[in-house]
Amino acid sequence: MNKGKIVSIHSFRGGTGKSNTTANLAAQAAMAGKRVGVVDTDIQSPGIHVLFGLDENKMGKTMNDFLHDKATIREIGLPIGDNTDTTEGRAKLKGKNLWLFPSSIRGREISQILKEGIDFNKLNEGLQTTITEFDLDYLFIDTHPGLNEETLLSIATSDILIIILRPDSQDLQGTSVTVDIARSLDVPNLLLMVNKALPKYDHAELKKDIEEQFSAPVAGILPLSFDMAENASSDLFSLRYPDHEWSKGLRSVAQAVLALG
Amino acid sequence: MPGVFDRLNKEIQDKQQEGGITPLDLASLPPALRKIMRLMLRELQMTYPRLCEAMDEMPEADRLSREDLQSALTTLTEQYWLIRIGEKEKAIYKVNLRRKEGSKLAAGIWSSLNERLKKHPKDT
Repeated sequence: MNKGKIVSIHSFRGGTGKSNTTANLAAQAAMAGKRVGVVDTDIQSPGIHVLFGLDENKMGKTMNDFLHDKATIREIGLPIGDNTDTTEGRAKLKGKNLWLFPSSIRGREISQILKEGIDFNKLNEGLQTTITEFDLDYLFIDTHPGLNEETLLSIATSDILIIILRPDSQDLQGTSVTVDIARSLDVPNLLLMVNKALPKYDHAELKKDIEEQFSAPVAGILPLSFDMAENASSDLFSLRYPDHEWSKGLRSVAQAVLALG
Repeated sequence: MPGVFDRLNKEIQDKQQEGGITPLDLASLPPALRKIMRLMLRELQMTYPRLCEAMDEMPEADRLSREDLQSALTTLTEQYWLIRIGEKEKAIYKVNLRRKEGSKLAAGIWSSLNERLKKHPKDT
């Protein structure tokens, strides 16, 4: 087996804070001295690059170029530690070993993928090659919500799967489907993360209920936060506001991931 | 004149076009077959001796006997879920995933969308 661990972050429904969580977990792992990659496999609606302060002009080659044999994985990996801006949280990543493998946000390139489909042998080769080419300890995969084929591939190849859910009936039902699929695919480590929990909930009770329902550990319960909403993806929240309750919850998830590693 | 590498590459490409497994199919495989496929997904390709080594490195409960491994490899290659290049000890196995099909939306929709996107300089 390759040395690096693949960590997929998934949620059955959109709007759970998946990209924010992925970017912050990757940042925490990099801050802990790990060599970390982040791949955006949400090819039809990419967005995680925004959290790292990138726009179309700064991105360069993308996963779309790799899938169309126009670039190598080496050419796509964008060293975030060398491209930090002055934003308080992101600036802390300066010099850290963190690479982003973004998907294209050009409309034509997204529509090309939707129209032509995806060579999964190539996509899987890309995921595995990021680890060997960049000697990664962890590769975090930001997935599309729901169960599409790219998501299933990333789950099937993962060492650790983090499923994010809100304390909401629709999320709970969807999560049970994802947990079943993950178990059918023999994912070695499954962690749950509850996001956007109302402050009035007893978090210890919520954790216990969800762990019983899914027979899987809850690595963190993160509160619904207006501060987080106000941040509006303009910075890496857990680096900018390390003492915030959301950041504390996020760090407990990061510690659970690193403990498996 | 094509070299050995080109020839093998062509052979792999031809075989890849003959089918492949979908990520959802992986979930339905018997445990022994799924174990091999998960290993192959991570390693991309392996020789038979390397596969045997990887099996020996697994926890005892997860290991397959040589006989079971050989039988599983035969099943997987017959289905074109694994591609085998070469024979016996020199065989190299490579995972074969089925391509995700493109959208079935009428072609006119894509050409119309492309025309509209062309009008935006940043998208060209």
